[in-house]
Parts: sequence; C-alpha cells; structure tokens
Amino acid sequence: MSVPLHVGIDAGSSATKCVILDGEGALIGHHVAPSGFDFGESAEAALTRSLQEAEGKIEDVVSCVSTGYGRESVPQAGRHVTEITCHARGAREWYPQVRSIIDIGGQDTKVIHLHADGRMADYRMNAKCAAGTGTFLESIALKLGVTLSDLDELAMKSSGDTLVNSFCTVFAGTEVLERVKAGEAKENICLGLFRSIATRVSEMMSSRNGAVGVTGGVVAHCRAMIRSLNEVLETEVLLPPMPQHAGAYGAALLAREQK
Amino acid sequence: MSAIVKRVEIKAQKRLKALLRDYFVNLDEAAKDPTRRVAWCTSVGPCEILTAMGFEVHFPENHGAQLGARKVSHLHIPRAVGVGYCAESCSYMTSDIGASLSGYSPLQEAYGIEGPAKPDLLAYSTNQCREVQDWWNFFGRRFDAPVDGICPPTHLGEVTSEHIAFVRGLLEAFIQRTEASFGLKLDMDRLKEVVSLSSRASTLWRQVLDTATAAPAPLTFWDGLIQMAPVIVMRGSQTAVDYYDMLLAEMQQRVSDGVGAIPDEQWRLYWEGMPVWPKLRELSDKFFDLRAVIAASTYCNSWAFEEYNGGDPLAWMAKTSIELFINRDENTKQAFLEEMFDKFAVDGAVFHNARTCPNNTNSRFGMAQRLREKRGMPILVFDGDLSDVRFFSTAQSMTNIEAFIEQLQEGRR
Repeated sequence: MSVPLHVGIDAGSSATKCVILDGEGALIGHHVAPSGFDFGESAEAALTRSLQEAEGKIEDVVSCVSTGYGRESVPQAGRHVTEITCHARGAREWYPQVRSIIDIGGQDTKVIHLHADGRMADYRMNAKCAAGTGTFLESIALKLGVTLSDLDELAMKSSGDTLVNSFCTVFAGTEVLERVKAGEAKENICLGLFRSIATRVSEMMSSRNGAVGVTGGVVAHCRAMIRSLNEVLETEVLLPPMPQHAGAYGAALLAREQK
Repeated sequence: MSAIVKRVEIKAQKRLKALLRDYFVNLDEAAKDPTRRVAWCTSVGPCEILTAMGFEVHFPENHGAQLGARKVSHLHIPRAVGVGYCAESCSYMTSDIGASLSGYSPLQEAYGIEGPAKPDLLAYSTNQCREVQDWWNFFGRRFDAPVDGICPPTHLGEVTSEHIAFVRGLLEAFIQRTEASFGLKLDMDRLKEVVSLSSRASTLWRQVLDTATAAPAPLTFWDGLIQMAPVIVMRGSQTAVDYYDMLLAEMQQRVSDGVGAIPDEQWRLYWEGMPVWPKLRELSDKFFDLRAVIAASTYCNSWAFEEYNGGDPLAWMAKTSIELFINRDENTKQAFLEEMFDKFAVDGAVFHNARTCPNNTNSRFGMAQRLREKRGMPILVFDGDLSDVRFFSTAQSMTNIEAFIEQLQEGRR
C-alpha cells in the first residue's frame, strides 16, 4: 500500500540534500548528492536515492518544497522557501528549545534567532565573501595540500588556542604560510582556521540568549568546528542527528504542513 | 510572476523624459557658448545662488547615479583607482572620475552629448559628505576651474539659530567670492524668486511622496528614484514646479481610484539608505513578485524641504542645508525613521549598507538593531553599494529579501 510522501530538497552550492517524510512526519529516506553543474540533475539523483531508501515511488510524493542556493532550479518542487526559514524549521524540530541556529554552509553562513514560540526573530547572512564558510576551509586545505578531513584531524590534536586572524580567504592563506614559516605547529594552525570561522560567526550573533543549534555540512564533517564554536561562543552548541540535512528536513516539514 | 501581473505605468513619465533631454541639451549648449556660464554643484549645495547669478547648474552626483543605473560604474572605477582614489571610497566619485578619464558618459547614448558640461565653477557643500570636496577638486584641476564651497557643521541634533546664522555667513562669503571672481552681482529679488520655486517644487515633491501613505500605495520607492530627477537637477525652476503639479494630480487620482503601484499589495516596507542603482530592475522585480511595496524611503525624502514663506532666502537655504537627515546625529535620525515608519504604516524596513557610502548608511552603529528591539519590527540589513556592483551579491541579496518576507509572513500568522 502506498503512503503519501513529503519531500524537502536543499540544493546547496556544494551538495544537494533530500529528505523524505511519511504522512506521520517520520524521516524515512535521505540522500546527499554533489550539486555539480546542474541543480535539476542533482536534485533528481538525490530524490531517486532517497525514494529507494524510503521504499517509495515518485507517484507517492504529494508535496515537495525546495530550498538552498539552487532552490528555483528544482523542477520537482511545488514551492521554494529560503534556506533560512528551512534550517530554522528543521533545527527546531530536533531541538525545540533552540533560540539560535548557526548554519555553516559551503557558500554562506547564517545565524538565525528565534522567538520563544519558534517564530523567526532575526537573521544574518555573511557578507559577499567566503569568510566564515565551508569554502574558506576548502580553499586553505587545497593550498596546504590536505583534505578537509585531514584539516579536521590535525586541528583536533591541537591543545592550543591559536586564532588565524584573517577572515579573508586569500589573506588567511598567506597568514597560514607565514605561521608555517615561523615554525608554529601545524595542528595549532589548523585549529586556528576553525576558530577564525567561529569568531566570524560570533560577530553575526545579535543575541546570546538560549540554546544554540548548529547545522550545515561543515559541522557535520568537522569536529573541530564544533569544538571551536563551543570555545569561542562559550557554550555547548547542539548538534542535531543530521546537521547537513537540516535545511532539507525543514523543507520537508514545510511541505507536509502546507495546505 | 511579474510577467503575468502588469505594472501600472506613470503617465507623467513621458514628459519627464522630454524635460531631462531639454535640461542636458541646454547645459551642453551653455558650456559651448562663451557668453554663458556653467557651475557644478552638489545635490543640496548652494544651487539657488548659482541659478540666481545666471549659471546653468550640473549635478555630478546625478551623473554618478546615471553611471550606476547604466551598470557601467565598475568598468570605470579602476581608472580612478589607478590615479590614486581608493576603491572603497565613494563610488559616485570614483566612477565619475574614471568615466571622465575613459572619455565615457551615459549622456552620449541618452542625448548624443559628449559628457558633462565643462564647468566655469565647481561649488559644493559638505553637508552630505566631505568626499565631494575631493571629487570637485579633481575636476577643478582637470578643467582648470575654480572650486569653492561651504563646510557647514555636521551631525547636528537640534538645529539652532546660531547654526543657521553661521551657515548663512558661509553662504554670504561664498556669494562675495563668486561675485568677485566672475564680476557678477547677486540680485536678491531674483534669489527670492529662485528659492520660492525651489521650495514650491520641494513641497509638491513631498506631497507626491506622501500619497504613498494610502494603501495601496500609488507609487513605490523605485518610482520615486526616477521621479525625483526634477527636484534635484531642476531646482529653482518653474519647470520642476509644473512637473510635480502634474505628477501629484496623477498620484492623487490613483489614490481616489484605489490604484496601487503593486497589484494586491501585501507588505509595506521602508527603505533606508542609498539605492543600488545598477540593480534597480532586479530588486524592484523581486519586491514586486513578493507583493511588497516600498512605500517610503529616507533617500527620496531627502529633497523634501521645509516650505519657504518669504523673508530671508539665505536663512532658508542655510536652514534647509543643515536640517537634512544625512547631516543629523543618530538620535535625530532614529526619531525621523520612527516617525516615517508610523506615517507610512510599514510592516518592516530594509537598511542598505552601501559599502562605499558610510555617510548615507545608517546600519553601522547599531541603529537597525535598536529599532528592531524597540519597535518589535523586522528589519533587514543587506550589503551592497550605490554604484559598484562588485560589492553586491545577487544570490545572497535575493535570499535575504525572500527570507525577510517569510519572516513577515510568520509574524502575521
């Protein structure tokens, strides 16, 4: 017997995430596909794989909401909603007590503050620049000839509190090379990069009240990012079970809620 | 969506196009006529004095805006940076200087005119910013023309009689220097006449903008940016008065007929800060699609002055030139914004952080946050620039604007 399915697709700048909910709101399928050149194709791939996991068929999909940078290029979606609203909705479902949500994505970083009743109170996005985003880390990792995973592992070995001062990706690259030249331990430098992002995020926080949830691909893959956020924000941030899927999950919840 | 629902065109627009052509052609002719004089003047500078003394007046800020609207500023700014002007300083200035060095002007395509009319005098007031002085000085050197102006007190809270008297003195001294340099004599009766016309056009302009207190609003900020041209470049002329008489009648008719600039107006917003000239169409389309009318703005209201009721024209000029929003302190600005939010019954406000225009950006010292907390009203702050598109991200800005409307929707539920 077929069940009605509700789909959320987050077409991000780096990855396209899909989440499928059943009629009761249970998460029964999900997948991540590289966004590549064509958001439509990557959405199709993520949806197909998610449907396989959910053991559902495309005919069972009764509503679909897209979000993310490529939200307008997802043909399966009947509606598109910004990633700001979707991440807030997804994170709040996992952690009803959160009052602030930090989403660190590939291209942009957002801080969303919520009222106690869950309505959005305020939000900020990073300025037109890679500072404070996943791209910042990827660019520096590339320059150092390591993977993002290596960067994270090295950073977790650091016991220092180094901060790479430059927010600018290009200047940070230069600063890293200067520190290497000065003989600073690479573990400390790597942690300093994560702390640079956390510091940039802290500047975007207009309120420090209440629990803080974190979402996005960077926190899903980098423990050093969580550690840095905890240290810089002086709080234990809440990491949901599927941080990279928070936007798609929020979109699927909105799809299910739509009349 | 915007393709399906048609915009309501402003009928007066056709007349405006003809007036602007006449204005620029006249300036060009004046520059080529050895018996006539051209002065360049800042947008709220001592232009009534110049007009009364017989100068034809060109406004370089308007030229900067035209470069922005033509989406070419970023192509010319590098020329100015190359000769020592910082890329983060006023992009009106850097694009105007760069365009001059490149030999380009939007007036070429629009009116077949080579460029801005060559000045006999460059006059300024630093009531809006000090950058104009450096901008004018560049062209003073380039055209071997005198640069002169006034530097009034800035960031004022209350505007006192002492302030007005001081600025009046600066204007008098400016008149004396100009009379001496050009062998002219200012006719005070003529100045009164010019100031009366200037004030009349300004009052009508305010009335035009105030029609947007109606819901639906008959015009938007985007319309205002086009319709404001006469109150800036034709100040002190009967032409501007006649134009705004006509435009006011059209807007009042729209209000009577219940015609809104945006069909099915859902949201009423306030715009604080400079426009993003190269992105006017994209931004106005986005707000149109979201059924959000920008009913009022600080920018368009910057040319709505207090009415002149006879008396000392220099005192009126002194007062209006320092009473400007941009020339006031934070508390006065915040009080003005709150008054405007109430007057136009807006649901939210958009603050543009113009990266090269700190003087006309009011999101840098916590004002947006204070207003958000005090009023419980959503306020969006977004990064961009008045002219230089390199400071603007379309994708990020559009997401910001859509999320802002989603926030408003959540609040209304």
